[in-house]
Amino acid sequence: MISKKLILFLFLLAVVFGPSCTIAIAQEAPADVDTRWFHTGKIWIFLSVVLFSCAIIFSIYRARGGGDIFIRRIAGLEAVDEAIGRSTEMGRPILYILGLGQVGDVATIASMNILGQVARKTADYETPLRVPCNDPIVLNVVREMVKAAYLDEGRPDAYSEDDIFFVTESQFAYAAAVDGMMVREKPAAVFLQGTFYAESLILAETGNSVGAIQIAGSDSDSQLPFFITACDYTLIGEELYAASAYLSREPMLLGSLKGQDYGKFLIFAGIVLGVILELVGITWVSTFFKEV
Amino acid sequence: MRRQVPLILCFLFGIVMMLVEFSPHPVSEGLRAEVIEWDLIIGPFALVIGVVTLVHTHWIRIRRRVEHWQYSYLVFIGMIVMVAFGLPMGPKNGGNELPKWLEWFKWFKGPENEVFVWFFDNVQVPMEATMFSLLAFFIASASYRAFRARTLEATLLLAAAVIVMIGNAPIGDVLWNELSPVGENIPSTARQWILDNPNLSSRRGIILGVSLGVISQSIRIIFGIERSYLGGGD
Repeated sequence: MISKKLILFLFLLAVVFGPSCTIAIAQEAPADVDTRWFHTGKIWIFLSVVLFSCAIIFSIYRARGGGDIFIRRIAGLEAVDEAIGRSTEMGRPILYILGLGQVGDVATIASMNILGQVARKTADYETPLRVPCNDPIVLNVVREMVKAAYLDEGRPDAYSEDDIFFVTESQFAYAAAVDGMMVREKPAAVFLQGTFYAESLILAETGNSVGAIQIAGSDSDSQLPFFITACDYTLIGEELYAASAYLSREPMLLGSLKGQDYGKFLIFAGIVLGVILELVGITWVSTFFKEV
Repeated sequence: MRRQVPLILCFLFGIVMMLVEFSPHPVSEGLRAEVIEWDLIIGPFALVIGVVTLVHTHWIRIRRRVEHWQYSYLVFIGMIVMVAFGLPMGPKNGGNELPKWLEWFKWFKGPENEVFVWFFDNVQVPMEATMFSLLAFFIASASYRAFRARTLEATLLLAAAVIVMIGNAPIGDVLWNELSPVGENIPSTARQWILDNPNLSSRRGIILGVSLGVISQSIRIIFGIERSYLGGGD
């Protein structure tokens, strides 16, 4: 669909350059140039993003004032201390796998945040922390993060840059390398946090076979069943994003979780209302969501 | 300053790129394309970092004679061989149009760069396929553990899995139609019902939670509340 502004522009060009130019323009005019500054078809998505963002910002603002914020217990995150303690007692390393995501992926950033918290504890306990990376940029960010965590804990001497290393960008070569590490080094705890694809079960089953306590977390819903089957604890969906707040207990981060809960409550209320209205024969809710 | 500049850039780009998503104007589209191009430019730098850290890691392994250090030589051999055949004569590097000083390499390459392709097809592809095929055995062992009917949940899982497996196999419907006097194609219908109702509902629940989590995490990052990814706690 050609906008009015574009048609006017083509007309003016035709007037200026004469009829011979008109044919050329008509042939080469772009088929679809949208000159609107706002896509009206996305208005409801925009409004829901704004509404949800406001709820989160409001919750963060409220959390700044202090007060107790209740967050439900997440078993997988409660087990982080247990996993690190086990590794320390057994004198074996902890293996932290960030998945195949790149540094711009939200799941990878969430995973790096958890790693930061884990690194603080391994620094305290002097437990070796091994992090094989499959992306060079992730590698450098992770090195900086872990180094800063060790510095913050007053243990810069315990930090070893060689323990955080690049393996390969190839999916199955990475899986093979990490599997080999598991079999040779027999880590007492394995963290699988981030974006995973078909290699998820290969890694989780190998970790299971060496007897490691495994804590997994992913936003890839197709890989979650594999993790639930093969790992001791699994962070499902949004629990991965809540982990950083949960572990650090910072009020502002916890406040954002509260805002997230408000969003979930709204969606849940919408679903219940929609089901009830559908049952009594009122269909405007389902029609609205189909059109959105 | 070391942390403020990244935080300001993160805020600006976060807000602008979110707004661009809702604007079809050519200026927004152009901005989006430009930023994607910047992202692509980072790629070659990442490759250099990757190669340097890989070489460093394996060089240290060889120098310190850590366990299985001999395999690090294989990494170097593989890397050198593939670079030697791929870089000057790769398919994206001018094809047969080699500079004069490299023309003597031609006898290695052949008209279609066969040596490089041969190594890829006969070394890398089979090795990756081998790793992928291991998945079948891991699925079997994981299923065995998951389907042991020790609890109510595991029993439900086992029952659902059996129905889906029988419904997926054509023989399930054939046997049912032959042996049972009730209904037609019940196994495949039951399988479809499980996939479309309990399965899809749970998946959608997870996807909704993930989406809200992503927005929440993005807001924390854009507003600089979550900054541990920059290194350091605060």
